[in-house]
Formats: sequence, structure tokens, C-alpha cells
Amino acid sequence: MWLRLPLRSLLRNRRRTALSIAIIALGTAISFFVLGFFADATRSIQETTVQEFGTLQIAAKSLWDDTAEGYEYLLSQQDLAQVQAILEQEDAVVSRSPQLSFSGLVTAGNATKVVRATALVPGNKTLDVNDLVVEGRGLEPTDIAAVLVGRSFAEQLQLRPGDVITLTVTTVDGAFNVSPLEIAGIYRFTSSQVESQQIYLPLQFGQRLLNTDGVGRLVVMLDDLDATQPARARIQADLDVANSRLEVKTWEELSPFYEQLAGFFNALFGVVTLAVSVLVFFIILQVLTMSFLERTREVGTIRALGTKRGEVFRLFFAESIWLALLGSGTGIAFGLVLGLAFNAVGIEWQPPGTVEPVVLGIRLTVQTAWLPFVVSVFATLLSAVFPSIQSARLRVVDALRVT
Amino acid sequence: MEERGTFCYERGSVSIETKDLTKVYRVGTQQVHALHAVNFVAKQGDFVVINGPSGSGKTTFLNLIACIDRPTSGEVFLEKQPTSSLSEGQLANLRKETIGLIFQTFNLIPVLSAFENVEYPLLLQRVPRGQRRQRVTALLDEVGLADLGRRRPDELSGGQRQRVAIARALVSQPRIVLADEPTANLDTETGKQVMGLMRRLNEEHCVVFIVVTHDPVVTEYAQRTVNIRDGRLEEGGDNVAAASTA
Repeated sequence: MWLRLPLRSLLRNRRRTALSIAIIALGTAISFFVLGFFADATRSIQETTVQEFGTLQIAAKSLWDDTAEGYEYLLSQQDLAQVQAILEQEDAVVSRSPQLSFSGLVTAGNATKVVRATALVPGNKTLDVNDLVVEGRGLEPTDIAAVLVGRSFAEQLQLRPGDVITLTVTTVDGAFNVSPLEIAGIYRFTSSQVESQQIYLPLQFGQRLLNTDGVGRLVVMLDDLDATQPARARIQADLDVANSRLEVKTWEELSPFYEQLAGFFNALFGVVTLAVSVLVFFIILQVLTMSFLERTREVGTIRALGTKRGEVFRLFFAESIWLALLGSGTGIAFGLVLGLAFNAVGIEWQPPGTVEPVVLGIRLTVQTAWLPFVVSVFATLLSAVFPSIQSARLRVVDALRVT
Repeated sequence: MEERGTFCYERGSVSIETKDLTKVYRVGTQQVHALHAVNFVAKQGDFVVINGPSGSGKTTFLNLIACIDRPTSGEVFLEKQPTSSLSEGQLANLRKETIGLIFQTFNLIPVLSAFENVEYPLLLQRVPRGQRRQRVTALLDEVGLADLGRRRPDELSGGQRQRVAIARALVSQPRIVLADEPTANLDTETGKQVMGLMRRLNEEHCVVFIVVTHDPVVTEYAQRTVNIRDGRLEEGGDNVAAASTA
């Protein structure tokens, strides 16, 4: 009876109930759609960030703090061996690769450009830039003075695979070193800034250019993004026990842009959901108040028969539970259909600073559905509290007098 | 009666008693005395009709002994228990356990069937499902609506609705049934049928029936009549013919 009576009361005025369910459903669907959109965008940015930085990076604290004098932050072979031993114990590690990054000056013909050079192990699957090559070929273990340049860089300096550029760097001793490099291939990336400033060359050649056997950092790939924090904590703990000067950074820390964007998306979703919830709250409050007022005499009757105030509250509140569940459930279903239709169309958008358009998508998962569902249910139930209390507090004789 | 799964109380004990029952309403700055120190006694098995014109205070009196309103002063005793000191929750329990109510406009719950309307008080008492079905079926049979249990109130005639209301008032096996103008919305013939039914149930179950009305037809069924005028009660005497009417 406690479920049947409220449900039948809802069905008494079908048009009003349908309107209430439609309002709640629309609010839920909007929240679901917006959260799905932001979740998809966030996921894309996560993937891009990890593709650029790896899951973890291990380097000297002075590098992260930007307090190192010259190249004193470089990891020695002894440091590397110590870290490698620790990483051997970590199941989540899929691959790892040392890198050496430095600034240099590229000259091609009459043009000169400041670049960021990253020397890495060719063929190592950690941050494998060969996967990004769109023209020419990737770096191979046998390569020595070879280089990959970005698409924007190549366009700016009118370069093609097979062309030779000159790279000028400062060695760890402070001397100048100059070397010709043959362009093995041209890579693409989502960011035009990366494409125009970043070049890749073999690690051994990079070390030779800088006159060192050290590396700048060790890039680590994990099998699951969710394993990032636990793995970082364990590795850092092992490093601290070994009294190491090294520190582990996660991909989130390495890309403050991601943190800011994720925070912005969360705030935007919060604002949209709050606005929708407030709207749903006031509309449902109005509808329920009207609906309950019309049944004042009925309240008088059931109270006269011995129904307690708490039981009256429960009866009326149960109506809003039905409304909330039906409305929010319908909203999730509607949002799902809307999201699938949106994904099927495949709308493209080119974000500022990128070289290729991205396909906008709506992430339709339990993770993106439960929050809009819960928020809608909560807003609806909250809107029912006041009219339910009002109904329960009616004086029996007064309620019975209402015609 | 026992074979039909119904009940019967012992006659004679005091069921309702009021002492100096007074109700004063405030209308703006004025005070309106609806009841003046009313003293009244009804015993188990009584069928009392309270007559009076509109505004005489008869519904106020009924509301007070039904414990849905509180007196300004005086006391209502139900089964010798004073009620003025009881909380809202205790009064709700008292109504649920002791009193059956019949309203002028039937006051059935429109979204429930006749069966479910009668069943409602038993749900409040948390009577097990099997017992509920048995008692509701027996009472619907007693009021002549055995085949109409599935119908909603709007699918029943006025007389049938009032029969459902009577069954609802009796299903929790109350000691007291209070009826406010039970024939006011019925034609004369249906009104007589309903009163006949109430009288018969009074006889069979020995439940106290207090009926307030200004309909002279209802008085014919009274075992005892009481007149109320300007908030004061006057005993009208016993009605010997009522027994034969029932």
C-alpha cells in the first residue's frame, strides 16, 4: 500500500505526472550529456598528455625544482641502475626509457630556429615517436646522426626527409658543439607548438653531442592510468629508502594544463548541473504543492482513520520517490539515445593551438550516468520535503472541511 | 455471525462519556460557543441519533468524541480513558483501534478500489494479508457489495459508496462508529437502506453508533435520540419502535 497508493495517486492526474517526469528527465539528460561531453574531452586530453609525457617520469629533484646549475641534474649510470632495479619490482610498469632533453639551435639554409631536442632510445616502445611519423621513416637502433622533426617545423623551414640540418648545442662542459643531422622522418602531433619546437634524435648521439653518458630523466609507462598514484608512491618510497636524490612525477603534475582544464570542466559541469537542479527543484516543488493541496480533504480522511503524521509524510514523499526514479531513469535513457546519436554523427572541432580537428564525443558510461541520476533524484526528493511536511501537519478537522 | 468471521461486543458498559464538554471558536475578536458544558453517555450497543439544525454544534460534538478536534474545556472519555492529555500520535492510535468514521460525503480514497478502501484501516493496524482479505471480504458481503470490490468509488452509486464507507468503518472491529450526516447525499430510499444496514450492524456487532443528522428519516432508526440546539444537549428519550425498524 505504501508504494501502491502513491503510484496510483500519481496516475490520477496523468498529464501533470507526465509533465513532471519530462522536466526531471530533461534536466537529467542535459546533465548526463554535459558530463559525458566533458568526460570524453578529459579522457582525450589524458591520452594526449600521457602520449607526450609518459605515465611517470623520474629525475633529479633539482630538475623539477629548476634549481640545477647547468647539467648537474643529469642521472649517472649508477643512478639509472638503482632506478631500474626498483622498477623491476613494479608489476604495473609496461616499459621504460631514458631520455636526454636539451635546447639547441637548428640551421637549415639561411633559416635558424631554437628547438627543444629530446634524445631517446630508438625502437623503445615508451613514447614511441615512430608511431607519429607521417612522412619518411622512424628512428632505428642503427641510426646515428638522424632526426625526426615536426610537421609544422618542416613546413616553416621547407624541409623534407633526407634533407640535412645543423644542430648547435652547448655541451655539459659549456663548450659549443655543432653537428649535421639527416631528417629521417616528419612526425605529426595534436599540438602545433610541439610540432614546431620539438625534435627527436637517438640517445647515444644526443649524449655524444653533449659530451656525457648521463640522461635527463627516465620515462615510465604503466599498464593502467588508475595505477599512477599507487605506483608513484611505491617507487618514491623505495627511492627515499635508498636515500636517492631522485623524485617521481606523474603525468598530471607534468602537465598543469591538464589539471587546470579538468578543474575547469568540473566547475562548468557543477554550474550546469546546479542550474538545472535548481530549475527542476522549483518546478517540481510547484507541481507537488498543487497536487498535494488538491488532496487536503483526502489527508483529513486518512488522518481521521488513524494514519499518523509520519505515515502521511511517507505516503506523499513516496510519490516523489516514484517521480524521481521514473524521471531520472527516463532522463538517463534519453541522454543515452541523444549521446549515441551525437557520437554517430561525428562532429569535428579544431581546438586552438592544435593542428588536427578532434572528433567530439559523449562518453556514455556508468561513471558519467550515476552522478546526473543521483543529483536529479536528490533535487526531486528535496523539492518534495516541504509540501510533504505541510500535508502531514494539516489539522484533521481543517482538512476535512476543505471541499 | 461468528461463521461469517465478524465480531460482537458485550452490551451495557460505558463506551463514551463527556463531562462539561465545551468548545469555543474565535472568529476575529469574537468568541463563538459551539458547545456549552455538554454531558453525554453512550453504552456499548447503543444506537444514538443526535438531531439538530445546521450550526447547532452537532458536527463539533462528533469531531470532539472522534478525537479529531480538541475541546476548549471538559473531557471526553473513550472506554473510560480520558483523551485530552493524549498526544497526536496516541489520538491517531485511539482512532485507529477504537473508532470507525462515516462521513457525509463518503470520503473514500478515489484511487483505491472498494476492496482496498475497506482494507486501508487494516493496513494501518498491520493486520496480516490473509486476515485482511478474510475480514474485508466478509464485510463487503455483509453490506451487499461482495461483487463490487474491484470497482473504484467513481464507478459506484452514492448508496454503494456509503456502504463501502460503512464497511471501512467496521473493518477494524471498532467499539464506536460515528457517522456525520450519513444520508445527506443520498435519496430517501437509499438513505433508508443505508440506515437499515447501520442499524442491523449495530444489532449484530453491539457496536455503539452515534449518528448526527438533521434528517427526520434517520431518527426513525434511533434507539435513543438526543437533540442539540445552540450547543446544548437535550435528551430526546428512547425510541421503542426502532427495534422493529431494524
